[in-house]
Amino acid sequence: MSAAHFRQWLLPAVLIAALAALPFLGNAYLVTFTFTILIAYILGQSWDWVSGEMGYVNLGHYCFYGVGAYVFSIALVAHYPALFAMLVAAAITILIAVAVAVPLFRLHGDYFAFATLALLPLAEILAFNLTSITNGGDGIVLPIQSVLKASYLIALGVCVLAFFSTVWINSIRFGYALKSIRNDEEVAEVLGVRILPIKIKVLALSAAFASLAGAIQSWQMSYIDPPTVFGLNVALIPIAMVLLGGSGLRWGPLVGVIVLACIQQWLLVNIQSLQATVYGAIILLIGRFMPGGILRAPWLRNSRWFGALSQEHHEYIVEEKSGNKASTADTLPLPAIQVNRSKPLLECENLRMEFGGNVAVDNVNLKIMEGEIVGLIGPNGSGKTTLFNCISRVFDPTAGRIRLAGKDLSELRRDEIARLGVGRTHQIPRPFNDLTVQENIAIPLMFHDTKLSSQQAFLQAREFVAYAELEHRLTSRADSLSLQEKKALEFARALACKPKLLLVDEVASGLASSEVMRFVEHIRHVRDRYGITVIWVEHIFSALAQVVDRVVVLEQGAVIADGTLNEVVTNERVLESYLGGTVARAH
Amino acid sequence: MTLTRLIAVAAATCFVLLPTQSFATIGSCNEPIVLGTTISETGPFSTLTVHWRKMTEVFAEEINKTGGVEVKACKKKVPIKFVIYDDQSVPSQAVSLYEKMASVDKVDFFVGPDWSAVAGPVPPIAEKHRIPIVAGNVATPSFFERGLKYFWATPAPTVARWSERYFDMLSKMNPKPQTILFVTQDNPVTKAITGVWSKKAEAQGLKIVGEDTFPSDLKDFTSIISKMRAAKPDIVYISSFDGPSVPLIQQMRRLKVHAMDVHHALLNGSVQKQVGNDVEGMTGELPWYPGVKGPYSDMIETVLKRSDLDMFDYIFTLGRLNSYLVMVQAIEKAGAIDREKVKEALFKGTFKSPAGDIVFDDHGQPKTGAFTVQMQNAKPRIVWPPEAASTKVIWPSPSWQ
Amino acid sequence: MTVDVIIQVLIGGVLLGGVYALVAFGLSLIYGIVRILNFAHGTLLAVSGVVASLIYASYHLHPVFIALLLAAATFVFGYLFYMALLHPLGRRNHFESTVGTVLVTVGALLMLSDITAVMAGATQRNIQLDFEAFEIGAIVVSSAQVKILLGITGLMLAIHLLLTRTWFGRALRAVTENRVGALICGVNSTRLKALTFAFGSTTVAIAGVLYAISFPVSPYMGFGLTVKAFTIVVVGGVGNLRGALLAGILLGVAESMTSLLWKPEWAPALSMILMLLILVAKPQGFGKKSA
Repeated sequence: MSAAHFRQWLLPAVLIAALAALPFLGNAYLVTFTFTILIAYILGQSWDWVSGEMGYVNLGHYCFYGVGAYVFSIALVAHYPALFAMLVAAAITILIAVAVAVPLFRLHGDYFAFATLALLPLAEILAFNLTSITNGGDGIVLPIQSVLKASYLIALGVCVLAFFSTVWINSIRFGYALKSIRNDEEVAEVLGVRILPIKIKVLALSAAFASLAGAIQSWQMSYIDPPTVFGLNVALIPIAMVLLGGSGLRWGPLVGVIVLACIQQWLLVNIQSLQATVYGAIILLIGRFMPGGILRAPWLRNSRWFGALSQEHHEYIVEEKSGNKASTADTLPLPAIQVNRSKPLLECENLRMEFGGNVAVDNVNLKIMEGEIVGLIGPNGSGKTTLFNCISRVFDPTAGRIRLAGKDLSELRRDEIARLGVGRTHQIPRPFNDLTVQENIAIPLMFHDTKLSSQQAFLQAREFVAYAELEHRLTSRADSLSLQEKKALEFARALACKPKLLLVDEVASGLASSEVMRFVEHIRHVRDRYGITVIWVEHIFSALAQVVDRVVVLEQGAVIADGTLNEVVTNERVLESYLGGTVARAH
Repeated sequence: MTLTRLIAVAAATCFVLLPTQSFATIGSCNEPIVLGTTISETGPFSTLTVHWRKMTEVFAEEINKTGGVEVKACKKKVPIKFVIYDDQSVPSQAVSLYEKMASVDKVDFFVGPDWSAVAGPVPPIAEKHRIPIVAGNVATPSFFERGLKYFWATPAPTVARWSERYFDMLSKMNPKPQTILFVTQDNPVTKAITGVWSKKAEAQGLKIVGEDTFPSDLKDFTSIISKMRAAKPDIVYISSFDGPSVPLIQQMRRLKVHAMDVHHALLNGSVQKQVGNDVEGMTGELPWYPGVKGPYSDMIETVLKRSDLDMFDYIFTLGRLNSYLVMVQAIEKAGAIDREKVKEALFKGTFKSPAGDIVFDDHGQPKTGAFTVQMQNAKPRIVWPPEAASTKVIWPSPSWQ
Repeated sequence: MTVDVIIQVLIGGVLLGGVYALVAFGLSLIYGIVRILNFAHGTLLAVSGVVASLIYASYHLHPVFIALLLAAATFVFGYLFYMALLHPLGRRNHFESTVGTVLVTVGALLMLSDITAVMAGATQRNIQLDFEAFEIGAIVVSSAQVKILLGITGLMLAIHLLLTRTWFGRALRAVTENRVGALICGVNSTRLKALTFAFGSTTVAIAGVLYAISFPVSPYMGFGLTVKAFTIVVVGGVGNLRGALLAGILLGVAESMTSLLWKPEWAPALSMILMLLILVAKPQGFGKKSA
């Protein structure tokens, strides 16, 4: 393994050495041009962590570049040594990033993009007007030092650092936290991922690198002014470069930067007019025909020469080979919980959930004992899913209390509740769409057991995947699965949370009877073998009948019956709510 | 290994795409003198540089019509040739291109660029390669204080002499203006102009009754104009590039601002085209205009006509042309196509230009002035100094009463 | 600071805001219905303004005719642009369709401004109307301002009628309120989206003509305007005509008043700060929440 490892990194090492030798061997033009590529790469790659990996499109990324440039320049003019000034620039930009992160991340999706877009002209105006700090429109004139070599080498170093950061981030939990946020933030939290610190960290990291790019480039240019560092005319270029190469891939940003920079330079040098039109046309055509980026184009992925570049990050995770083959139903790596049938696991006291004037959960009192399988039924809109959402804290209950194993849940966050031992499935499956089946399961495993490496989590995930009988779909993207496969994945993923309490929301609807039976068996098995308590929302009574100890009936948010299935099925109120008044009267 | 092949291909592609061979020997008498430059043909600064590429090429043709530049060491006239790239108004782009011209295209000398943003980072490159560079429209004084030995510039006019003739004219006008109000665009050049000339106005005895700065994309000047009307200045001095001042002038007319004169430090044809008759009577400065005779004036007039360029439309043209004229004269003075000799010739040198002599101080900064013009019947007319004037100034300015 | 001055400033601000609102409205519709971040939106205005000023300078057509001409041209252009370049991206997954539209619109932005600069020259230009001023007390209003006000009002009225009286308008409103419901009711999504994109482009083209009457236009000014338009879209609520108008006017007035009461150099910053504050306080903007 070591030899292969060595070979894998030999070539990049040679490449880096070649680049490092360039200022000493090549002519100044080539060095300057390569320098601009290095800077563009630092900007593009740092953008991709927030936008490509985490899915928050930060259109104002260039602000960090500009702030870094200004802080560096001010420090340099104040006679601090250049390296120190760069570190100061990075430090202050990180602080600013952390400060704006908290309000900014309240926004989602496109609103986040709009808000960050507006930051750029705002920063330019601040640079123009805060003349005591920034010297306003006059810009900052730096002392002239011949720094091409030094700035180039530092930029190269930062590039290498950025690249290795990407590789590293994507091999650890942090990378998967980002990717899970990208797909479905709410589900990520419910699986145990703590969101806000991750967002702040990635933004701070991204800002640090961008600010270094700004600092290094202004050192080389020896003059900056507000339009140069905050200009809208250049702000979108690094973003376009990354998108063109393939956002979210290991080699995507690098390829995109190199391709577009070379094309732009070639155009500038060789044609006299309309260079920007040709440049724009290339970007437009790639967007139209290869929107995943060049590296995701099918012809490239399948080509012998370039296929290696198109690998998604998960393809780089090599699992340790394990001795035994995973078998189907028996060997889930779940702890066997000792069940005490007389101890309540979940207690809901006077739980109430109101949305405006609409009462969705109406003073529900419920006690679920350890090791029970409880069916939760009721007509559509009776509040079953809302009840689940209150337990996993997707909603904040208006009133009442929920206790899990005696612990009051009202002060806890969603991810803390997940780690306490609550796992759930969703009525309409919500897998992490652009991640594979294996990754989907690996994520809750990683976040439940912090000592698991991603390789180990991948390996463990196989057992769950086998349990769900999805081995043939192990490395397929979750959004390519059929409905029943998605439901199986959803169930397996909930189990991967290693729950004490499993909330199953209509996992059997839409399935053939043999598939339904399989789920019934699974549910029985997880309770018998591993001691997991299950609350199962279902409409298919035949399925419930085989396995539930007890049934709770909700109507319009209130509990109208709570007893064995037979008791409940003959209960008049239940009949009336499900079937209408005639049946009850006919009795 | 696919990765090897890939890297090989990538490296080969890059190196093929970027020409790395030079194509000129520096200083040879048998090859044209190569002058390298960039022009901001696209991007935000391109509004100021229309037709400049053609103008540059025509300039070379005109010089070469008589054989070129007289070089004593070669015992003959050597033609000149320009290498022109578009820097897209992006400073880092300009940096790459100047490096290319120095190390790949192997130009003999540099002329241009213009504008602070681009001309800030570029001169150190010339310094590093020891290539004399005569930049064009560079007004930021601090650029000249960086200890650069190979850097000169020919802004026309310089900030220090920008409105010299105008204030001279004011001192001789009757009725004499007493008060002045400055409206300045938030831009280093325009602010520098106001900075210098508000002091000189005060020194001349004019009382400053208002000073306002506005951002470049301001559209609604009502508040500034309200203050203007309240202050009732005799002179309104507008220090702004053409574009941002258009709504200002239109709104001043609309809101019936009255003054003895409205002076626009960067008045040009673009302003006139956009505000039409509103511009009537306003005064401005022009580094030069066809009709004013001086050294090289005929040649420059021909160049302008052939490249379809009206100097009133693009008032920074003379600054650019001056850099070419200076470089050509410097080579003649040096007597050789030799960078060090040209550098010596440029140092504290005096050079001829249609608008008057260009004299460099020891930092490379010249002291060029401008003529005062007034818009009369929709035409710019040089009205001061009387020696160069084509007509008399109409005082107080018509249409602003 | 007399009342007259304040009223004067308010008039300027309202007019300015009205033009902003027009720019934003097209973007709001496009974003609301087609869900596309159109980065080239402001550039289309710049191009339209430049072309309009060229036509006016050469042929002296009345601005209303120029506006109609450009409206027709941009309608066709917008429709074709959408169908050829943007619609096929909708069939891809969410990530690729977002990335694709970003790349396509950014590419279009670069191409449009460059082609316009090369063909029409990069100089700033405008449509120069002769002005006469009317005085009401100490307040001065120019005929150009009145014409622009009429133009804005007329356009808003036309849009309002379109939205309430035609099939297209009702379909638009239905989709804004409830996408899925509208689909179920048989509203043809593709045609509607293409028409919306075309309509949004038309609106911005007409706004370009109005803009060129009041302010200088140049090929590279577009993106700054796009950013401002996004601001207004967010504050006014997506797809909301009245909201865009109010937000635009609010912005215009805020900028003018800042110039008057504080310092002009901070005026443009205000709009962005305002938007950011509003977004942070109310992360959904003032738009209707989707069902």
